[in-house]
Amino acid sequence: MENLTFYHGFVVPFVVGTSVLFAVIFYKYVRWFTRLPRRDRQKVRRGIFSFATVRAVWECFTECLLHRRIWRVNPLLGYMHTSFALGWFLLIVVGWLETTAYLGGRFVPLQGHIFFKFFTTGLEHGPRWGIDFEAVMDLLLLYVLSGLALALFKRIRSRALGMRRTTRLTFGDRVALGSLWFIFPMRLLAESITSGLFGSGGFLTGSLGGLLAPVATQGLELAAWWGYSIALGVFFVAMPFSRYMHIFTEVPLIFLRRWGLRSEVREKSFDHFQIEACSRCGLCLDPCQMQRDAGLEQVQSVYFVRDRRYNRLTRRVADTCMMCGRCEERCPVGLELNTLRLNSRHALRNTPANDRYAYARNRDTSSGGGRTGYFAGCMTLLSPRILKAMESIFAAVGEEVWWADRSGGVCCGRPLKLSGEVDAAREMMKINAEMFSKQEITTLVTSCPICLKVFREDYVLPGIEVVHHSEYIERLLGEGRIGLTPGTERFTYHDPCELGRGCGIYKPPREIVRRVGTLVEPAETGREAMCCGSSIAGNGLDKNAVGKMGVAVGRAFEQTGAGSVVTACPLCKKAIARNTSLPVADIAEIVERHLVPAK
Amino acid sequence: MQAALSLAADGLKPVIVERSGAVGGKLRDWHRLFPTMTPAQEVLEEMAGRLEHAGVEVMLHTEVEGIGSKGVTLAEGKTLDAAAVIVASGFDIFDARLKEEYGYHVYDNVYTTVDIERMLNKGHVALHDGSAPRRIAFVHCVGSRDEKVNQRHCSKVCCITGVKQAMEMRELFPEAEIYNFYMDIRMFGPGYEELYQQAQQESGINFIRGRVSEASPTIDGRIQIKAEDTLVGRPMKMTVDMLVLIVGMKAAGGNERLAASCKGVTLAPSGFVAPKDMFAGSVETGAPGVFTAGAATAPKTIGESIAEGAMAAEKVVEYLKKAK
Repeated sequence: MENLTFYHGFVVPFVVGTSVLFAVIFYKYVRWFTRLPRRDRQKVRRGIFSFATVRAVWECFTECLLHRRIWRVNPLLGYMHTSFALGWFLLIVVGWLETTAYLGGRFVPLQGHIFFKFFTTGLEHGPRWGIDFEAVMDLLLLYVLSGLALALFKRIRSRALGMRRTTRLTFGDRVALGSLWFIFPMRLLAESITSGLFGSGGFLTGSLGGLLAPVATQGLELAAWWGYSIALGVFFVAMPFSRYMHIFTEVPLIFLRRWGLRSEVREKSFDHFQIEACSRCGLCLDPCQMQRDAGLEQVQSVYFVRDRRYNRLTRRVADTCMMCGRCEERCPVGLELNTLRLNSRHALRNTPANDRYAYARNRDTSSGGGRTGYFAGCMTLLSPRILKAMESIFAAVGEEVWWADRSGGVCCGRPLKLSGEVDAAREMMKINAEMFSKQEITTLVTSCPICLKVFREDYVLPGIEVVHHSEYIERLLGEGRIGLTPGTERFTYHDPCELGRGCGIYKPPREIVRRVGTLVEPAETGREAMCCGSSIAGNGLDKNAVGKMGVAVGRAFEQTGAGSVVTACPLCKKAIARNTSLPVADIAEIVERHLVPAK
Repeated sequence: MQAALSLAADGLKPVIVERSGAVGGKLRDWHRLFPTMTPAQEVLEEMAGRLEHAGVEVMLHTEVEGIGSKGVTLAEGKTLDAAAVIVASGFDIFDARLKEEYGYHVYDNVYTTVDIERMLNKGHVALHDGSAPRRIAFVHCVGSRDEKVNQRHCSKVCCITGVKQAMEMRELFPEAEIYNFYMDIRMFGPGYEELYQQAQQESGINFIRGRVSEASPTIDGRIQIKAEDTLVGRPMKMTVDMLVLIVGMKAAGGNERLAASCKGVTLAPSGFVAPKDMFAGSVETGAPGVFTAGAATAPKTIGESIAEGAMAAEKVVEYLKKAK
């Protein structure tokens, strides 16, 4: 046992590759960590000894190894990812145990673990610690190989794995992918030949070795081990420059996220962890309506993240997105795709506000007074039926209302923010926030989800609760302040992006609809609801694309068999109305039609 | 109608399939025609008279399902055997309710140009409460050249319609202030430009270049409009008694059914039927034996539609000769 050496010329590619890999990763992580802004570093310090760390460890296990989120979207794809991640991980862990079981506590260099079979042909075979390691290792290898077979099949026919589209590869990806494909078949071949020559091996390598024994020579054996080592070395060198960087980066990302770090409207170092944790799996492609309905390519989140990572992001790519959030819902890594896109827009476009909006200051045209305020927002003002309906509802409950903008007001700031003009948006927000805080209001109702989102996200309004009108109406119903006459009409409901995925409001509008008729859901609904196509974030979209997406949305509602479409956003209402023959109404209009004031 | 007349004159046996209860289409709703102020009734009567005289068969209250290889499929599942078909199904009027910001069917006293024609025909133009308007505003390009409502095309005849109706309002209400809000004024036809000049110089109609952004009600039941006077470069507000929306021409809803049923017939992105080409084949479609006349292919004036009717008839004759 003493005369075991763990060196041979063929290990050089592996050792070099591993060294490069760890050097590059070390360089990257140290750089990103040290550049974290002070408040992020504080969060890390506070979080590191908290329960969050334990949960992060668990999440690393369920996501980085088991890939639970991918399983949920697509079991076959889940199996493929798990077989690679968990299979390879276990090969390393069990391989280490095997080394220890055979050799005890003595030091074994890294390549000794990896090429264990080659260096230990002189050892007596058979189980150690009561475990048949050779069989276990063969089983794990087979598990990984089954995933590889699926991966190869996916490259040829992605549809078979439930994906209509897969991502196109960069050069680094191709090198890494090519070498990755060789790693495990080469390992199988090398271990089998060695097994054939020395009469060892488990059920897989042993029997394949038996078959190869008649032709196996030492030269052939060495060639196979060289091949295996080269494949590993090339993969490790290419890895940090390819999409496989996600394998490692997802781990620190999970910890940082658990400690409370988030991306913001301005780019910061934490973004690197998100961007390089993208595996470019392409699950974000299929839900994208720009791809599905308008045929726009190379702009989806996976491509945006890729372009940003390699410093070749253009404004066209950054701007061509509705930020509907459908891809974010699907992302198995949980990347903040909308926020990343937003801060890229900010980096590419923001111009100082200076005095651009000085004219908007001191232009308070609000009227009325009371504890409840109402902010229509520009789109509601352009959809006067909604405004009229809200007036009727307020009148029915005798609510005293402070009308913030009925005779015109200042924009909530969200359109500017979404276009990347964050400084200018802040100007608008300041003007409105000052106006709100001068009032006695404790509740601010808005019928525009776009305004709602920015009020909740960016405004600091102490003592004022901001609610969407659907929430307000639901409360009135709950308190018995209004009643609704039931009806027999069949409605379908459209979840506005900013209200559903944006603010998490799904239930109140549906409750209201069910009070006045039957609700039939479209095929894609709730968290997966379609975007109307008119998103104010889509300022890089041409009108043809918007038109095509609109047609698809109109068709989706017509297929429900409902008599009319209800939504809860003035912008969505307009967008849907021009693309369907069905009547389209806001939730407030439906309420107004069925309104019975409580006695 | 003209196509049928020309075909009959060539000794063929045309049949007019009409969805409504009378031939003449939208012309039946119009009051007087630009630029000559000829009563629409006069044109209609002349055409209908000639049709009757020629003994052309007219099937009223008959809906067309589509065009198949054997002829025209009718709604009741019957097939009308035809050697050639001329599609003269015209256009739809843009639904002004889609431009909710203008308040059509939300506030009183917001009308469309179609409403005005009908009121003129009834001989009674007045506000909702029966009184006379003191200030009237016309809004051009409602449902035309507007990507927000998927109508990118110019409807062509609205500019001159706005000028014509403004002048008619002047006749009815000599004391009223009358405004036209426009993006461009496109006076393409003979006598149109002259009428536009006349409207400004003699009828005292004010033309303001700028699109109206929204309308809202005032406390006294009038309508306040917001617009931008782009020649002065300032946003402006104006309170009016009557708001008239000059609605555009929308591709007929039946065009899609036609394209789906008839191989070779394609639609332009605007939804209008695509002609074989824009020049010598402008009344032909991609389907042999299927021709068009009038606003099925694009917004057109009455005169242009009649001319196309004659041209389509000639093409039919040519086609039938070749087919023999």
